[in-house]
Amino acid sequence: MQDARQRILEATYACVARWGLSKTTVEDAAREAGLSRATVYRYFPGGRDELVDAVVSWQHLKFFGRLYEEVHGASSLEEVLERGLVFARRAVLEHEVLQMVLRTEPGVLLPKLTVESNRTVGMISGFLIPYLQDHQLAPGVGVHEAADFLARMILSYISSPGHWDLADPGQVTKLVRCELLPGVVGNAPIEAL
Amino acid sequence: MVGKPRLELLHVHTPASISGSQRTRIVDGALRCIARQGVAKTTLDDVAKEAGCSRATVYRVFPGGKDGVLTGVVDTEVSRFFSAIAVRMGEAGDIEEVLVAGMTEAARRVSRHEALSFLLESEPEVVLPYLTFAQMDKVLEVSSSFVAPFLGRWLDHDEAKRLAEWATRIVLSYLACPAEGVELDESESVRGLVRTFVLPGIRTTRSGVDQPSFDEFE
Repeated sequence: MQDARQRILEATYACVARWGLSKTTVEDAAREAGLSRATVYRYFPGGRDELVDAVVSWQHLKFFGRLYEEVHGASSLEEVLERGLVFARRAVLEHEVLQMVLRTEPGVLLPKLTVESNRTVGMISGFLIPYLQDHQLAPGVGVHEAADFLARMILSYISSPGHWDLADPGQVTKLVRCELLPGVVGNAPIEAL
Repeated sequence: MVGKPRLELLHVHTPASISGSQRTRIVDGALRCIARQGVAKTTLDDVAKEAGCSRATVYRVFPGGKDGVLTGVVDTEVSRFFSAIAVRMGEAGDIEEVLVAGMTEAARRVSRHEALSFLLESEPEVVLPYLTFAQMDKVLEVSSSFVAPFLGRWLDHDEAKRLAEWATRIVLSYLACPAEGVELDESESVRGLVRTFVLPGIRTTRSGVDQPSFDEFE
């Protein structure tokens, strides 16, 4: 029997996918989950706002959980970065509910994501630290400093790649070698591929 | 809904017939209103009163009503912003200085902008859609096109544009998500960032001094 809280989150998510963030109510979520309104309020006393925040947080953690699954077997820092960028960018583009909400109600979602972003940088940073500890770093560059820089850059590229085409492996390699690693590991970038 | 800032406005002089100073007074009046109470609560009457003119005048200068005023505000502030960083970058004598000067000035202007600060704090839904995801790609494009020529003395165009986009990305990231130990509005802190993470990633070929290249990282 699935945990009731989780059931409510999944039901709410299904409603959001159907009607969007603004139109999803506690009643909708309760009906979808097959639970009473009272039960939903018991788990989310803050009502609709708390429920919506919880769904965003849950999906957010899920996204980075999938990213972790994709890259945690990588054997080098460079491989982590290349695989991570490719996978995460594609996952952002293919996340239908995210793309729908960004199109139709960005003002509702973006403030919540911005609040999450500090935590996200911390999460990615923590993941990278062992890879950085294993690697020889540029003189004077600390592991935590490097991890923070890489983490925030990754988050930036996967949501707004700018001129970079992250579906092109050659470009991903170039990006990693020219904009992520040079300052961190102390090697100059190779000539353009 | 606010219209897109138009880069070409940077190169256009306001025709005398549209009374540049009247337009500026209205824009600055609107900015003061927004800094105080945000966009939703600001009415054209508020703007007219703050600008010391009639509502009719506001409509004449900005035929689109409130939307027209907001578009005008964005266009003016974007112009002012790029003019300010252009002055700083133009004074710089090498790549490092262009980057440090431009990034520091950009961070200062954004973080000290009263209307923008109010909105980010209290009405983020009004501004964040223009600064994130696909819209941020447009910001990166506008910024890199503007900044690239200031790096043209030392880099070919493609590399200058890449570097300009990268520097913009870095500023936006630290503004959105501050880091301990990084003070983006202090040039020495920015210099540290630039020297550590950015300069090593630049391929300077113009002066004939090539960066050594490596095939492997390990």
